[in-house]
Amino acid sequence: MLKKIILGITSLFIFHFALAAPLAMESLGNGVYVHHGVHEDMSEGYHADICNVSFIVGSKGIAVIDTGGSLKTGQALREAIRKVSNLPILYVINTHVHPDHIFGNAAFIQDKATFVGHEKLPDAMERRRENYLRINQQWLGDTFAGSEIVKPSMLVKTTANLDLGDRTLLLTAYPTAHTNTDLTVFDHKSATLWTGDLLFVERTPSIDGDIKGWLAVINELKTHEAEFAIPGHSSSLKDANWKKQLNDQERYLWTLLNDIRASIKKGEVMEKAMSTAAASERSYWQLFDIVNRRNVNNIYPGLEWE
Amino acid sequence: MKSINLALRLIFAGLGLISFSLQTHAESDPSKWPLVKEAFFAQRPMADAPFITFVAPRRAESGAQVPLEIAIDQTQADANAIKTLYLLVDSNPIPLTATYHLTDKLGKFKLATRIRMEMDSYIRAVGETADGKLFLASVEIRAAGGCGGTVDGDENAIRAAAGKIKMNVESPVKFGDAASATFIIKHPMRTGLQRDLVSQGFVPAFYIQKAAFTYNNEPVMNVDFGVGTSEDPYLRFNFIPRAPGVLAVNAFDNDGKEFSHQAEVKN
Repeated sequence: MLKKIILGITSLFIFHFALAAPLAMESLGNGVYVHHGVHEDMSEGYHADICNVSFIVGSKGIAVIDTGGSLKTGQALREAIRKVSNLPILYVINTHVHPDHIFGNAAFIQDKATFVGHEKLPDAMERRRENYLRINQQWLGDTFAGSEIVKPSMLVKTTANLDLGDRTLLLTAYPTAHTNTDLTVFDHKSATLWTGDLLFVERTPSIDGDIKGWLAVINELKTHEAEFAIPGHSSSLKDANWKKQLNDQERYLWTLLNDIRASIKKGEVMEKAMSTAAASERSYWQLFDIVNRRNVNNIYPGLEWE
Repeated sequence: MKSINLALRLIFAGLGLISFSLQTHAESDPSKWPLVKEAFFAQRPMADAPFITFVAPRRAESGAQVPLEIAIDQTQADANAIKTLYLLVDSNPIPLTATYHLTDKLGKFKLATRIRMEMDSYIRAVGETADGKLFLASVEIRAAGGCGGTVDGDENAIRAAAGKIKMNVESPVKFGDAASATFIIKHPMRTGLQRDLVSQGFVPAFYIQKAAFTYNNEPVMNVDFGVGTSEDPYLRFNFIPRAPGVLAVNAFDNDGKEFSHQAEVKN
């Protein structure tokens, strides 16, 4: 019994400690802060902190962009915000539906923040709810405690502007690309574009939408005025570097698409293409073996009908 | 039959919920098989079948389209020739994924398909002989999220495209030897377990139930599909054409629609 009590007290202590530990943020100046998650695949060694989570401070209040993969990560982000500013948290923006980006949302309910997303995001969250809750519980165990689906109430169909006081954010929704819920955020003041997972850097781009739609969006982003870009994962990108990364991603996606098309034309089987398609890209990307195989598995059956 | 199906569905949906609360680490649950076995093959003895083998991923990249190959190292001349092969996924809400009815035109049975997996599970191939003996082979696959899935897109377009078939036989063919046929049929294969977000109920099951293959009008293989077979059902199988001719397929969905296609096998 005593043991149990001690254990209980210890775990309470650990829990509070975790709550109080703010995420390490990179300050990009101009009221822009980013926390960089680590490179882990979700199916192996996942700790709910793999994506970039950010906040932007205006004169009236704060906007959060993506919240991490668990309530805990969201709470740690909130702690980090409170170290910088006590202004109200007005908006929580999700760049798309994936669980590593949305499961920290619940940490901001107390702020009565307006949750913002692509017009298809509430629907996509609902369809994936049961599965996301179950597999994240499996992957994360106690780390996932308290995490829940929090849907956006402000929906973006094409574009929308958010006023933070002396700075305006331009939100743009896209047709199906990385997912069917992709949204970018452009902060005019710092000339920074949050691409969500429309831009992968270092980490192998993963396709859960439409590879051809994604290639079309990349074409569109190539002429974007942003000087800086913050991708869904990895480091922040300065100057022309983000356009180079966009080109690298385009090269990977075209290679993958062409290799799969060639495989189908030759009458090969999907299982073979899972090992061979886009093999020439292997040395350029992290988590390639896991993610590239999954990409082939996801898109090959659809491309058989071209 | 319908009420039995419904009852089974409810039972397994219930099992799914129980295992959800117990299972925190991802791994296949061996305790499900006795229940599945009893539901489908009540009280019947089952022998191990080393002659039935799988090619399967250890971990599936996508739970919606898990590639799986099954081979039987015997022909219909064998004393214990398998006439019917049942494919079951223990942990799926609806375990029976497909039933393959074999003929001697297949030679040594070899078939690849794509299946749905809701979570980590054992896959069972149960072979039944003409006199009702049962043989079992199993393989474990780790996977997630293939059954609930997303029902999205334009309903009219989905219905209009449903039933489109692609079939071909790999050339060159050596008559009298095994040839490889590939069959794909466009179909959403709705499980009946996917949420209808408008009505808050479930989207009705809508799936290909059966495909019957013939070569020069003689039966080659009949397949009964369950909703555990992936969207756009895919089959690649060996059969033995003895002369040039036509591989034909008639497929039926649960709305009573019939879809046909032919592939010519030339010299």
